[in-house]
Amino acid sequence: MPEPAPLRIGNCSGFYGDRLSAMREMLEDGPLDVLTGDYLAELTMLILGRDQLKDPTLGYARTFARQVEDCLGLALERGVRMVSNAGGLNPAALAARIAEIAAGQGLSPSVAYVDGDDVRSVGFPGALTANAYLGGLGIAAALAGGADVVVTGRVTDASLVVGPAVWWHGWSPTAYDELAGATVAGHVLECGCQATGGNFSGFATMLPIGPTDGPAPPLGFPLAEIAADGSSVITKHPGTGGLVGLDTVTAQLMYEVQSTAYLGPDVTTHLDTIGLRQEGPDRVGITGVRGSAPPERLKVCANELGGYRNDVELVLTGLHVPQKAAWVQAQLEPRLTASSVTWSLGALPQPDADTEQGASTLLRCTVQDPSPEPVGRAFSGAVVELALASYPGFTMTAPPGPGTPYGVYRAEYVDRAAVAHTVHHADGRTEVVA
Amino acid sequence: MRAPLGTFVLARSGDKGGDANLGLWVAHDGSPRYADRVTWLLALVTPDFVRAFLPEARTLEVETFALPNLGGLNVVLGGLLGRGVAASTRFDPQAKGLGEWARSRYVEIPEVLL
Repeated sequence: MPEPAPLRIGNCSGFYGDRLSAMREMLEDGPLDVLTGDYLAELTMLILGRDQLKDPTLGYARTFARQVEDCLGLALERGVRMVSNAGGLNPAALAARIAEIAAGQGLSPSVAYVDGDDVRSVGFPGALTANAYLGGLGIAAALAGGADVVVTGRVTDASLVVGPAVWWHGWSPTAYDELAGATVAGHVLECGCQATGGNFSGFATMLPIGPTDGPAPPLGFPLAEIAADGSSVITKHPGTGGLVGLDTVTAQLMYEVQSTAYLGPDVTTHLDTIGLRQEGPDRVGITGVRGSAPPERLKVCANELGGYRNDVELVLTGLHVPQKAAWVQAQLEPRLTASSVTWSLGALPQPDADTEQGASTLLRCTVQDPSPEPVGRAFSGAVVELALASYPGFTMTAPPGPGTPYGVYRAEYVDRAAVAHTVHHADGRTEVVA
Repeated sequence: MRAPLGTFVLARSGDKGGDANLGLWVAHDGSPRYADRVTWLLALVTPDFVRAFLPEARTLEVETFALPNLGGLNVVLGGLLGRGVAASTRFDPQAKGLGEWARSRYVEIPEVLL
């Protein structure tokens, strides 16, 4: 029997706010079977939670809807399935929005969504958002049901790759080595250009960044070719910027792991079994990954509103910088009513600097309070009133704005039995996966 | 000799709630010293080393997870970011620059590894 073809799966987003044109680039620049996008981070859930407080029909990543509006016809024409966690707190609303966009363009894709991750009803008092990290089996079921587009709530970032790989290769839920291999590929892809030379500490000597005196080519987004045994090759479309090398891939695997046994909803991945090999230009092979049964409980991302914050940066220039800092701090402190006030002073400037910037440093003041008033005008007014009444050369990088709310994230855990991981197929059928 | 850790060590860092997360590994720069450098790095970077090397972590709980197959290790600096990215008052609340700070710090490197 011939080897089944590998799954060719790309990524076009590493966070909510990533390059808007990346979806089109990934579709146009080379062949793919599935295109994924990660839009959720711990902080993003809070931002979406605040969106939804203002308008209950929101709570999803709106940039994904804009990208789909631009690219849906192209993806359908090329037969590329799209899988994204852009549904955030409201995947049903995003699926409806995509169906509406498609209808407006005379297209009729099959759009499925996956939910059940929202566990606010299970407990977690005080949390604005509480979402269990689901695995990839819901996505696999949605694709098996014929979906052209799958949007989910909070699945793990790697599940966006694991789910399609399970569907493509027909792996059983206990094919732990295969699932672990796909998890590693997913972990490499999930942060977009971080796999291809973005945020890469070897950039100066290893990366073909091109001339720095003209426009720099954008870095390409990554893709993986995942074989039936779970091994993979990380690469990118030909002709795109950046590099896929041992170090850009290692960079993605070495951080955010906090353990040598990476606990996921579908599999525990043993990172100390990963083998990497440069197989050609911009091609890194991942082999040998071993997996074992996943933990009993699912991790939960819980966010609560922590309070309100604000800050200002004061510029201190020239002589007597420590005295300037001490004086303005002593002037401002008694005027502040916020419950928490934090000061930090940058490095002292060089003596006899030949530029004004070189002779300057920044003094930063951050205030926090459970209520908005003490960090709002009470703060900004107190700072601005010192403009002509404090240290010589008083200036700010920008006047303080209105205070902003901030969230506090905490990790929680929930029993699998308390979570109904549910696929809503395009034809209205619902299917609960384990 | 004393030289920046980043002479042949690469890094990436980020946040996980209130903890900072730092990956350190030996660059695949074609050096014949690669294996010796990995052995040196994994022996060097202990929790006590991290607390002295990055003074802002001196009072923190630090954990290290060696991944010799990838030529490096993962370091968790517990609580460096306070209560998490949105709440932190650090000027780099997501620890994006922590890895580059670590690479710029000087350390005694055996000359045979250079």
